[in-house]
Amino acid sequence: MAGEGVPSWEEVARDYGRFLYTVAYRLTGNRDDAEDLVQEVLLRVRRGLHTYRPGSMEGWLSRIATNAFLDEMRRRRRRAVEPLPAQPDRVLPPEEAADEALAAEVLPADVEEALRRLPPDYRAAVVLCDVVGLPYHEIGETLGVPLGTVRSRIHRGRALLRAALGARR
Amino acid sequence: MTDHLGDLLSALLDGEMAPWQADAARVHMASCPACATELDAVGGARSWVRGLPPVDPPFGLYERMLRSRHRWARAGVAALTAGAAVSIGMVAFSSPREAPVSPPVARLVDAHTATASVAGDPLSQLVPAATPVSFPR
Repeated sequence: MAGEGVPSWEEVARDYGRFLYTVAYRLTGNRDDAEDLVQEVLLRVRRGLHTYRPGSMEGWLSRIATNAFLDEMRRRRRRAVEPLPAQPDRVLPPEEAADEALAAEVLPADVEEALRRLPPDYRAAVVLCDVVGLPYHEIGETLGVPLGTVRSRIHRGRALLRAALGARR
Repeated sequence: MTDHLGDLLSALLDGEMAPWQADAARVHMASCPACATELDAVGGARSWVRGLPPVDPPFGLYERMLRSRHRWARAGVAALTAGAAVSIGMVAFSSPREAPVSPPVARLVDAHTATASVAGDPLSQLVPAATPVSFPR
């Protein structure tokens, strides 16, 4: 990266390829959409649509990825390609019987599936917090919402994950 | 402090509370089993997501994207070139000048007859090339 300039397409791919793909995969929940999202991010990087602020490259790429992801979710909702649930609380199945789930291990695949079923706004907040590791104020800037909303999306997202995975630990 | 902590529990886990708020929250939890249980629950979910491994991109994903980008660039140049050629062609065809064409038919027929007889071309021998044909001028 030359000084504080915008990183090139190739630099992003070379140095942050795995990171970017991981974020894209956690946001979208599947490989096809993750590839499309990565491509869209690189396109936006090339077009210089997002101001690069020297600092965390991960934060910058995550911001672009999240915006592109939520744009796409809104587009799909408008086209009703993939109807999204209106009531986040009803997305997930009721909690399993406690004794049934008590001893079970939580597998990464189960966590992925539960994450995939979170409403996109909650998922974005949880991914930015727990996958990327951004502080709340940066998540708020990325999503364009106040701190209180960031806090509540993260908390409710986690509560939904917990409910989906039962009492397992 | 009588209200439950709710969202603040996640903020507490993430270190997003001022020290005095965090102290007050802990004091509350000491006497509120509901909040303590909820903290435990969201703390578990937080650890699960944080424990998810990085995901490797499909082999050659970025190289493929880079190549297709170059292909697009080349396609763009090709389209421009083709467009220019079409424009030139249209100008040429729309030209009002139409010179009369008079092919040297007799000479071509003679040449063909000579070649066919030398080469023994069976097709040419079926129909005599020298058959008189009139080409209206």
